[in-house]
Formats: sequence, structure tokens, C-alpha cells
Amino acid sequence: MTRFQRFPTAPARLVLAWRAAALVAAALIIGLLLALSGRNVFELAVLVLKSTIGSRFGLEDLALFMTPLILTGSAVTVTSRIGLWNIGGEGQFYLGAIGAAGVGLYMPGSPIVVLPVMAVTAMLCGVAWIAVPTLARAYAGVNEIITTLLLNFVAGLLTYWLATGPWRDRVTGALASTGRIHVAIPEFWGVVHWGFPIALLVAGGLAAIMTWTSWGYEVRISGANPGAARYAGMPTRARIIAVMLLSGALAALAGMFEVAGTVHRLQGGMADNFGYLGIVVAVLARRSCLAVIPAALLMALILDAAIVLQTRQLAATVVLAITGLVLLLIAIGDELAHYRPVTPAVRLPPSAPVATPKVTT
Amino acid sequence: MIALLTGLLSTAVLAGGVLSLAAIGEVLAERVGVTDLGVEGLMSLGAATAIVTVMAVPDPWAGLLAALAVGALGGAVFAFAAVVMRANQVLCGLAITFLGLGLSATIGHSVAGMPAPVTFAPVRIPVLGSLPVIGPAFFAQNLLVVPVYLLLPAFFHWLLFHTRHGLNMRAVGENPAAADAAGIPVVAMRFCYVVVGAALAGAAGAYLSLAVIPSWSEGMVSGRGWIAVALVIFAGYRPFNAAAAGLLFGLITAIGFLGQARGWPIAAPVLNMLPYLGTLAFIILPVVLWKRMRRVMAAPAALGVPYYRSVR
Repeated sequence: MTRFQRFPTAPARLVLAWRAAALVAAALIIGLLLALSGRNVFELAVLVLKSTIGSRFGLEDLALFMTPLILTGSAVTVTSRIGLWNIGGEGQFYLGAIGAAGVGLYMPGSPIVVLPVMAVTAMLCGVAWIAVPTLARAYAGVNEIITTLLLNFVAGLLTYWLATGPWRDRVTGALASTGRIHVAIPEFWGVVHWGFPIALLVAGGLAAIMTWTSWGYEVRISGANPGAARYAGMPTRARIIAVMLLSGALAALAGMFEVAGTVHRLQGGMADNFGYLGIVVAVLARRSCLAVIPAALLMALILDAAIVLQTRQLAATVVLAITGLVLLLIAIGDELAHYRPVTPAVRLPPSAPVATPKVTT
Repeated sequence: MIALLTGLLSTAVLAGGVLSLAAIGEVLAERVGVTDLGVEGLMSLGAATAIVTVMAVPDPWAGLLAALAVGALGGAVFAFAAVVMRANQVLCGLAITFLGLGLSATIGHSVAGMPAPVTFAPVRIPVLGSLPVIGPAFFAQNLLVVPVYLLLPAFFHWLLFHTRHGLNMRAVGENPAAADAAGIPVVAMRFCYVVVGAALAGAAGAYLSLAVIPSWSEGMVSGRGWIAVALVIFAGYRPFNAAAAGLLFGLITAIGFLGQARGWPIAAPVLNMLPYLGTLAFIILPVVLWKRMRRVMAAPAALGVPYYRSVR
């Protein structure tokens, strides 16, 4: 009898196969729902392809979406290497934006000086924002999922308050926004700024650190088997603290890029779910720092497609529903990849007479 | 002074009901060993469904019923993925949150910003309603307040701690392998209580959109679901504590409202941070200050761990 048995590891080809199946299933469900609401699915699909990968404009948009997604995705990936979840990318993104905007608005000087100061300030703000959840996790074992998440709402309100209150635009009187920041990350290809290649380099650098340095090795072991790591004399607590602070800095850098490269001001609601979508990117990347790049590309494609759907009278938040569906199906697919058919080596001939023990009294 | 206190407590009871209801639901799911992080999305779905329903059928109970049903449906999707298929619970919960937030905006798109035609109006309960302070706060509110703070917690406390069925539930959350060996249907038990908890989260959404803020707008849940999940930890996975914790956070919200109404020199967004910062303080401080708390209020041992019978 062949039966399916769960194995502790999932081979990469099975994971890929199940994920492809999950994505196809998601596309079918979305297509079915769109068809049920009376839309021409085929025409929509062509339109989506044309306006994402079929045009220069679409490709530029993809790169712009990918930049923050790679960084917030990396932020979640590094914590997942040590077995933790940083769900607070959204908040750290806001703090990075706040730090960058604060420097950009009030520090005069040439971009060569101001931009690095903006980046460093942003990352320090992100580190400060994740510090309390980090220390609570490392020293008191407080669940980091909830603590990092709650701070997202505080960060969103803080941004809104700064953009409408002390830092509001006094020149044009724009609502919920600061004035334009005088420095910007230069663009190199259409509207794509240098933040994109830097984000790619960051992802590559993280992969190198995790794979080839003893620090990365200790992080990976601390995540895979904390008991063994402690027994081997690895400073697991120090690694947890370092990894979480690094994660905060990465998400904050995404906020700095968004302020200095794309939006050029601080706005309420500007994080646009990039922090939360970073979680999806990290899940798609399966804890590999390098796989964050293709995962961010897929996520950017979904975001880009959603913008096209938006022009066809669909609510803006439909992208969240699509992301949720994809995430749910991929979570199921990843679990199914653990199952493989096994056939017991020893087989009884099906017609063999079963010896029944005689009960003698 | 009495008037101020009564007003503050009344607002707290009204606003805290949302958190209490959702937190009680989450207590059930977590007691059987499943972390349901989809509460935020389920609440949002419940809130939108309730408003759309009362637009068609002008009866708040119809809205509540629809929200319960939608919550249960969302919970069944989550439980199918996380309990039956045993996929990662954190991921499935986040997926349900995304799905719920996205779908609720689509469902409620046509009614966004419109006032609810019917709401759960305050009803004064005779005798009890004329008690000082407590009377107006608990017994002269809408008809959901007494069930949320007294009847539901009492029922679930009795179920969890005074029945054999409750003992089985807790066994499933603490040691599913032992429970399985004792003949308790682990998967069915988990599925069932995840769905009940999710239905309560949907009901919390209806309570929000029909009693607290009588309308639907995108993002109106604004983290209340996540606060409810956090309160379960603070409440030590006990129904009465969960209801009390909801009330406490209602009080923090009420203080923020009071500050805005009285024109305190603090900006409104800063006052709105209070519930989130309060939740943060309340889940970190007790553990830091009182080490014994970790044992007394410990989470079910198998919380968040999928159960495989074949694992030996």
C-alpha cells in the first residue's frame, strides 16, 4: 500500500511545484470572482501583462515597488533566520521615513552630505523603534509578534501627527503632508532611483553574511536549535538582539528610500502596507536572503496588477485580499510539500492466508 | 465628580465591549492550542457585513447574526488551512487578516460613510439600571453589554474549568498527543473552537459598527483585533480576565476621548496612541515585574504547534 507520509524536510522541487499550483489556484479563484462580477477576464489579463512587464513604464514601476519590498522582506527574513517574527516592519518603515524627513527638511547642505546623514538617522530611528520589543523578547521572553505589531499603529499615528502638526507644509498648505524635501536620491533609469541597486546589494550582502561568516552561522544555529547553540557556547541572546535591531534598521532604510527617492515628503499613510507585504515576501523567500529578490518581484507584480484592476472600478484594497489569498494557498502548499509517497519495503502477498491463532481452552 | 466617573465608565464599557468579545473568542481558540492571528480581518469582515445587512434588513439582530455567520465562515477557512491541513498558523492568520481587510473594503464599498439605519440602542434594565455609577454604565447600555461582560465569560468559564468537555479542551491545548491517546478528537475539537472564536470576532465587528461607531468606513477596526490578541496573553487565557482586560482598555480609550472633549493640550493623534502603548505596557510590565506571573498565566503548552499523529 502506497501512502503519504510527512517528512520533517521539504525538498525544493516539491515546494516549487506546490507553490506553482498554489499560484495557479489563486489566479483561477481571482479570475472566477472577476468573471462572476461581470468583467472580461481575458481582456483584463492582457491589460495587466501589457501594463506590467509589457511596457517600459510598467518595468520602471516594478523596480520602484521592488525597492522597499526587498528591504522590508529582508527585515523579516533575517529575524526568521533566528526563529522570530518581526511584524513591525510597517512601523519601522514609518520611523525611517520620519528620521529621513526630519534631516531632509531641516539640514541644509549638498546631497552628498545630507543623503548619507538621512540614511543613518533613518536606520537609527528604526533601531530605536524595535528596541523595546527586542529587549522584552531577549530578557523576558515576551512574544515579539504582538509587541512589534502594536508599535505599527503608534508609528502611523506619529507620522500623521508630524505631517499634520509640527512639520506640516506651511507654504502650499497641502493636507497631511510636509513640504518637499530639498534633496533626492538621483534617478538612473526613467523614474528608478539608485535605491533599487542599493537594495539589491543589501540583499546580496545579507546572504553573504548569513552564509559565509561565523556570525551568520551562529544566527542560523541559534534559530534552528537554541538549546544546541547555547550548549556550544554561542551567545544566543546577543545574536537575537543584534538580528532584531538589524531588522529594524533594514525596514527603516526602506522608509528613507521612499521619502528621498519616490515621495519626496513625509505623508500620513505613506508606508502603504510595504511593511506587512515584507512578511509575504519573506514567506515566499523561505528564509533565504537571496530569494528575497525574486519574491519581491512577484509581490511587485501583484501590486502593479492591482493598480490596473483599480482603474477598472475595483477597490484599492483588493490587493490586500489577493495577497491574503496567495499567502493562504502558499502556506498550505508549503505544508503539503512535506508529504511524500512511501511504499513499505516488505509486502505481504494480498492472497496470503492469515493465520488465526487457535484458542484452546 | 460622580457624573464624570459615570460618563467615563459608560464610554469605557461601550468601547471595551469590542475588545472583550474578540478576546473571549481568541481565548477559546488559544485554549485548544491554535493562535488565530486573523482576528483583525474577521472583525473587519463582521463590521462591514453587519452594516450591509442592516441596510437591507433594518434589524440590528440580523446584522449581528450575519456577522457571526461571516466570522464563522472565515474561521472555517482559517481552521481548514491551519488545523486540517496543518499549515503554519502565523501565516494563515496573517493571510486571513489580509483577506478580511481586503474583502470587507470591497463588501462595504457601496455603504462607506453612511450612518447605520438601526443600531443597538441603549435599554434601561429596571432596578439594576438605577444603581449609582454601575447602573448607567452596565445596565442602561445596549442589550449586548450584559452578555459580553457577564453571560459569555460566565458560560465559557464554566465550560472550560467546570466540565469534562472543558478539561478535554484544555488537554488538547496542553498535550494533544496525550489527548489523542485518551480518545479526544484533537482536530475536530480545534476546528470547532477556532470557528466559535472566529464567530465571536465577527460579532465583535458587528458590535463595533452597530453600537460603538454606527457606520462603516475602511480601516475602522484600526488594530482592535490585534489588541484583542494581545489582551488574551495579558488575561492569562481566562474568559473573565479577557472581559475585564477589554474593559480596562475601554477605559484607556475613554480617557483619550475625555482628553479630546476637554481640550487637553495634547494632539488627538497622540491621545489615540494610548490604547496601543497601554497594551504594550500591560504585556511587558507584568512579566518583567512579577516573575511568578510567567507560571500562573502561562500559555497552553502546545499553543501554535500543529499536531501530527505520526510524529513519535
